[in-house]
Amino acid sequence: MGDSFSGDSVRKKAEFVAEVVNHTLHDLVIRCTKTEEVRNYYHVSVIGYGRNVSTCFSGPLAGRDMVPISDVADFPLQVKSSYKRVSDGAGSWVEIPVRYPVWIHPTADGKTPMCAALIRVKDILQRWLAEHPRGFPPTILHLTDGESSDGDPDEVGRQIMTLGTDDGPVLLFNCHISTRRSAKIEYPTEETSLPDGFARALFAISSTLPTNFLAAAAQLGVHAVEGSRGFVFNGDPSSIVQFYEIGTSLTGMTPYKWMDHTETS
Amino acid sequence: MDGSHGDILSSAKQSATWDLQLRQLLLPKLDHDASECEDAIAFDIHTARFAVTDGATEAFHAQQWARNLAEHWVRNEATLTLEEFRQWVATEGRELHDSWQGLTLSWYSEEKARTGSFAAFVGVEIDLKTPSWKAIALGDTCLLHCRGGALVKSFPLSRSESFNSTPILVASNAALHESTMSSAVVDSGSCESGDVLLLASDAAASWCLQRFEHGDFDADFLTTKDDEELRRFFDSERQAGRIRNDDLAIVRIEIKRRIN
Repeated sequence: MGDSFSGDSVRKKAEFVAEVVNHTLHDLVIRCTKTEEVRNYYHVSVIGYGRNVSTCFSGPLAGRDMVPISDVADFPLQVKSSYKRVSDGAGSWVEIPVRYPVWIHPTADGKTPMCAALIRVKDILQRWLAEHPRGFPPTILHLTDGESSDGDPDEVGRQIMTLGTDDGPVLLFNCHISTRRSAKIEYPTEETSLPDGFARALFAISSTLPTNFLAAAAQLGVHAVEGSRGFVFNGDPSSIVQFYEIGTSLTGMTPYKWMDHTETS
Repeated sequence: MDGSHGDILSSAKQSATWDLQLRQLLLPKLDHDASECEDAIAFDIHTARFAVTDGATEAFHAQQWARNLAEHWVRNEATLTLEEFRQWVATEGRELHDSWQGLTLSWYSEEKARTGSFAAFVGVEIDLKTPSWKAIALGDTCLLHCRGGALVKSFPLSRSESFNSTPILVASNAALHESTMSSAVVDSGSCESGDVLLLASDAAASWCLQRFEHGDFDADFLTTKDDEELRRFFDSERQAGRIRNDDLAIVRIEIKRRIN
């Protein structure tokens, strides 16, 4: 994958996003795995929007808005087999068989019904919050490749940001990905640096990054400071990967990133 | 027992002049069963070795790894140099991974097993002829050498604020083992009569160091309470948030001049 989506087909972009989402779900499952048990530290919802707004889970999880992570672990759409090159600890590399799950297949469509999608997210959140009033507040990682095609998302975005649990407000982070070679803007503190009204609209409905997210950003070498919003504009592939890594970092658990000394073949 | 709460140990390495008095405490997290405790304590009077280990909760079979490291290390005669320790851990890791061969695992457990297990380790060998100690550690389980009310040394971490959630640990996976072993450290010290060596897992060690830093730690308190009193005390400290709600392992070893 190159540094930019420029020249890539819409399909290729969708494939990349699906790959990142599958990888993120995989990482969340692994973080919750204790030997042979997956502990339900998270509930996960994956909503896609284009031709319509719907949950992206299919197969055994089809139609489910919010899924405990143990069910995510046990019901992928498929588990693929591959090989991974790993160090043998004695200075050489060996290839070992690995299995990796797939939950989401890429889909691409022309429209961007952002308001409808955020209204759906708000509904899911309200139901979950009613059942978990003292839970860890949900994080929304919203990825879009274009301007809203069904109106201004400001109102519903602000409504989402007013929701929360006893432990704090819901966090809404937005990542806009671009097919143009425009300069990317990552985790800004002020809207004055933004190029247009669309960017400012997304900035306005992006939560401030809490301290723990800043630590995760620093680990990844991403520049974010106190007051930075969870917002990326004109993001490239690496922005998306980092957006998901930072956005899922506030877990209170060790990511064990330093452990990953393996390479995927 | 000698009136206080502790066992006098006789060991092959004891001299005619010195005795060891031992007290140990192993508690699971609050509201957890003892069978879930991932800290481990082991000692062997013949080798005069003592070890405390702390398995990483999210690792694969962390309890088994922590117990193997503690129990097998104290029975060893070697493994007190960094190179011996490195080779010994590699062998232990291979044996652990071999023991998982043939298990039918889900994709996620399979991946966890591949990454292997992790544990913090501290082990000390006491030579009563001198008397002195030699220790080896990797991670945030600590040895505290106390004399009177003073802290002579704390190893490998020496300040309460040094503890964090990402310590480098003893890895069972061969590749990770090689990269983590550079963080292993050895140290040694001389003892006087009445000196106390404390081996403690991270939450307990951090709490002890914090008490030292505030000038209100007394290593003797472990001998003035019975097991039930100690459990209630540490439960209360954890409920109050003065100790993180974690498994607790403490071994108190007092070096005493023998009274004939």
